[in-house]
Amino acid sequence: MSTEHFFLPWNASKARLREAENARKNRLEIVKALSQGQVSRRELFKWGLITGAGLVAPIHGLSPFVTRAYADDGGGIPTGAPPSPGTAGLAFTQPLMRFEVLPRNPYAVLNPIPTIEANTTLMPVDPLLGGSYGPIEGRPPGPDWAHQRWNEFLPTVAIEVTQEGAKPNPNGNIPFKFHPSLPAQGPNAMWTFNGTLPPKLILARYGEPILFRHHNKLPADITQNGGFGRHTLTTHLHNGHHGAENDGFTGAFFFPSQFYDNHYPMILAGHDSINVNGTDPMAGSPDDSGGINKVPGDWHETMSTHWFHDHMFSFTSHNTYKGNVGMFNIYSALDRGNESINDGVNLQLPSGTAKSWGNLDYDINLMLADKAWDGDGQLYFDIFNTDGFLGDAMTVNFCYKPYFEVEARRYRFRILNGCVSRFFELALSDSSPMIQIANDGNLLPQPVTLTRLDEQGIGERYDIVIDFSRYTPGQKVRMVNLCEHQNGAGPSRDLSVAQAIAGKSSDPCVGEFLEFRVIPMKAGSDPSKVPATLIPNPDLSKIPVARQRTFAFKDGGSDSSPWTIRTDNGEDLDASVSRLSAAPKAGTREVWKLINDGGEWDHPIHIHFEEGQILSRSGGDGNSSAGVPAWEKGRKDVYRLRKDGTVTITMQFREFAGMFMEHCHNTVHEDRAMLLRFEVGKGLVPMLTPSPTPQGVKFVGTSVLKGAF
Amino acid sequence: MRRKSLAAGAAAAAVFLTSAPAATWGANYFPNIPLITQDGKTVHFYDDLLKDKKVVIDFIYTRCGDSCPLETARLAQVQRILGERMGRDIFFYSFSVDPVRDTPEELKAYAEKFHAGPGWLFLTGKKADIEAVRKKFGLGARAGEDELTGHSTSLMIGNTATGQWIRDSSLDNPQYLAVIIRDWLSSWADPTPGNSYADKPPLPPSAADKGAYLFQSRCAACHTIGQGDSLGPDLLGVTATRKADWLAGMIAAPNEMLSRKDPVATALFARYKELRMPNLRLGEVDVSALIGYLKAQDAAQDGGHGKPLR
Repeated sequence: MSTEHFFLPWNASKARLREAENARKNRLEIVKALSQGQVSRRELFKWGLITGAGLVAPIHGLSPFVTRAYADDGGGIPTGAPPSPGTAGLAFTQPLMRFEVLPRNPYAVLNPIPTIEANTTLMPVDPLLGGSYGPIEGRPPGPDWAHQRWNEFLPTVAIEVTQEGAKPNPNGNIPFKFHPSLPAQGPNAMWTFNGTLPPKLILARYGEPILFRHHNKLPADITQNGGFGRHTLTTHLHNGHHGAENDGFTGAFFFPSQFYDNHYPMILAGHDSINVNGTDPMAGSPDDSGGINKVPGDWHETMSTHWFHDHMFSFTSHNTYKGNVGMFNIYSALDRGNESINDGVNLQLPSGTAKSWGNLDYDINLMLADKAWDGDGQLYFDIFNTDGFLGDAMTVNFCYKPYFEVEARRYRFRILNGCVSRFFELALSDSSPMIQIANDGNLLPQPVTLTRLDEQGIGERYDIVIDFSRYTPGQKVRMVNLCEHQNGAGPSRDLSVAQAIAGKSSDPCVGEFLEFRVIPMKAGSDPSKVPATLIPNPDLSKIPVARQRTFAFKDGGSDSSPWTIRTDNGEDLDASVSRLSAAPKAGTREVWKLINDGGEWDHPIHIHFEEGQILSRSGGDGNSSAGVPAWEKGRKDVYRLRKDGTVTITMQFREFAGMFMEHCHNTVHEDRAMLLRFEVGKGLVPMLTPSPTPQGVKFVGTSVLKGAF
Repeated sequence: MRRKSLAAGAAAAAVFLTSAPAATWGANYFPNIPLITQDGKTVHFYDDLLKDKKVVIDFIYTRCGDSCPLETARLAQVQRILGERMGRDIFFYSFSVDPVRDTPEELKAYAEKFHAGPGWLFLTGKKADIEAVRKKFGLGARAGEDELTGHSTSLMIGNTATGQWIRDSSLDNPQYLAVIIRDWLSSWADPTPGNSYADKPPLPPSAADKGAYLFQSRCAACHTIGQGDSLGPDLLGVTATRKADWLAGMIAAPNEMLSRKDPVATALFARYKELRMPNLRLGEVDVSALIGYLKAQDAAQDGGHGKPLR
């Protein structure tokens, strides 16, 4: 089969798409029949269905990618498979599903009671996982993986979830479908938190530690995965300020029937060095009656919008694509989630007024993700695509191109790029302004008004405010993606709004994907504000720079493999879970230079644990802003390198220790080795590398790059 | 997957069972092309090599002077760790990306140099077929890349019975690679013994010493210091036996030593089964760090008066 012409035109006729899908099925069945001895090669050869080389003949009706038959159409879709069927006429016909808020239970309901070190009580292990007995908790045992500062930050809130195959949500009887007219996803096609739609949201506030218990209820049979995904999990709260035992380290995964306890202390960074007595009213947490509970730490480090997802070594792209993603809103004295409390601290961002904190009426989480599905409507993923996987169907909160009714007033949207490899660039269909208030969940020093947002890489969160009071009820305006991909390596170009709406791109995820339908405002007035000053950056200028490090991200080369990171002018290295590349000292500040050594490729680089500030940046095409743009002048945790670009950042390493990661958040690149391990804190000794088995976690040695310490 | 009616011409084949879920990346995905082993035997890619097996796949060519010998030597280390599992349920396949020149005879000689045992096949075949295999793993040469030198040094580790595939660095810790190959993709039926936390070792010497790190990651696959010959000579005493500039030259550019017919390099080449020592493109700083490490090892083991190198 020729692999040169992989794409079918996205606008191919229905009949042709049906043909292509049938061809894919037929070909599959013939090859299978051959392999199972039901027909002989000679017979197939005689029928002209197979070539001398043993390949299925590239004839019409057998190969979905036959080029001759389809060569008269231009363009192509990026998935490497026939277009996801069944979407015709479905755009903007279903309402947007809002995130489902996970119940916040009292800590005492957890059974068994969480333990500081991993709970190694034994239970029988499924024979499919080797049988015998294994621990009930998958967290590595021993003191190095004990919850740090547990007694200081005793959890008060328990959040308990499962990971399991897709099923209807009994809460509202919601079927697991991208659209009511599309087929339901089977239990092996998608694996989500609690196995249901909508995606899940955690509401957290500073000073209120959370115990997040994650039960793995995926099939013990590793083959029950619908063609992709892995039943071992490790859950990363991006970008939580917590001990590494709660960070979803890629090699510290847990198995079906086990649980893993994550302890999220919910403290401000700088807890040990700034405002240590907790007297500053700006550093606080909303109480239940409209007031503030003061907390220690630096209020300039206040964070607002996180998300959480699987981080399994080599399978992060599979599992996040398959549905292991959720969002996590953090509430603080400044960002209260109540727009009417005017106490000189609360910024009164659009949210609502009914509750003292955490109102979601006008504060909307939007998770954007491109998906693809096969002829049966089941989620499709190409596990051997190494540049990056692209879907051809745009979803918002797992809904195919929905609409959303908005009142004629201000709304806040917390927009997450939840794709595997796709970047976005967002605008409104009338090119009217949006106000960006936060980047990577951190409120900016000043809001920035834009008619098109910057490119948004995988894992980046942009919080924006749109004022719909400029429309009259009955009007519609749509959100548009302007960023085109030809492949998963990086964006190919950014279109104008007019071009994108007119369908001038062969990329089916360019164009309109979310419709806002304006209705009258329910309350008499809109008390929300977007103040001119939000959160100024912490001042790091007085803190000495303990170390400078350089990391070069490369996608190939004549003498090394693709997907490498070069540390401090050392070697280009693939990821290795057992190699320690950098070991910043606890309590210090460092400057890291991140280099895109890959020419035309782009990489959104995520550094776990603390937020950084961009000191300088370069690269990009002629339209990219020189220097650090206003919307990147706050704190960040994902740094888009841009084509040929370099980003220099500074960050601190405070309060907690352990093994963390730095990696490309194009999860295909990450899974293909563009990831490294760094460790904070425990002196001059690297931690052992966990090597989990269902019967208990073992440890192997760690190799250490020269200069890591 | 639902059964589908078949298009005209294939109707006779409409007799099949529903597919197992993992079959998505099975016979329907991998071409069953014929390949030739180092023993001259013809095998079919899917039926004979992949079906129901745990496999490690890499791409090499025997004339490669840098990454391939190191990669192959690393796999040889992993092979030793896997022991009797090799050839029983675990198989290594090293595909030549230079199939015209890499005849079965060439591959057999290459395999022997690296002490390849049961279950490790070196494969050649039609160029187009090998290219198809590379592309199937997403490891094809990129546009503008030399198809030989541009080949990836990554390993594809997979199990067609489960449809799970992992790509890992061939330079990963061999112990950890063995764990991934043996356990991660299987049903954990035969769990690996590992260290308990009580056995936590102190900081490994490689953390403090660049030479130690380089030796461990770049040399230890073929050389020991005082543990006897491996794929290459035991290096104990080498800093005393060889002149400093010869040693530096040999570490930096062994291919150039051979091509200018250095008598010692030529003799060693002959003695160690004509296994080409790779040019690892180490810079001056790295070479002197390595020599420093070798000297320190000599001093530590027997005062620098090691056994003379033959």
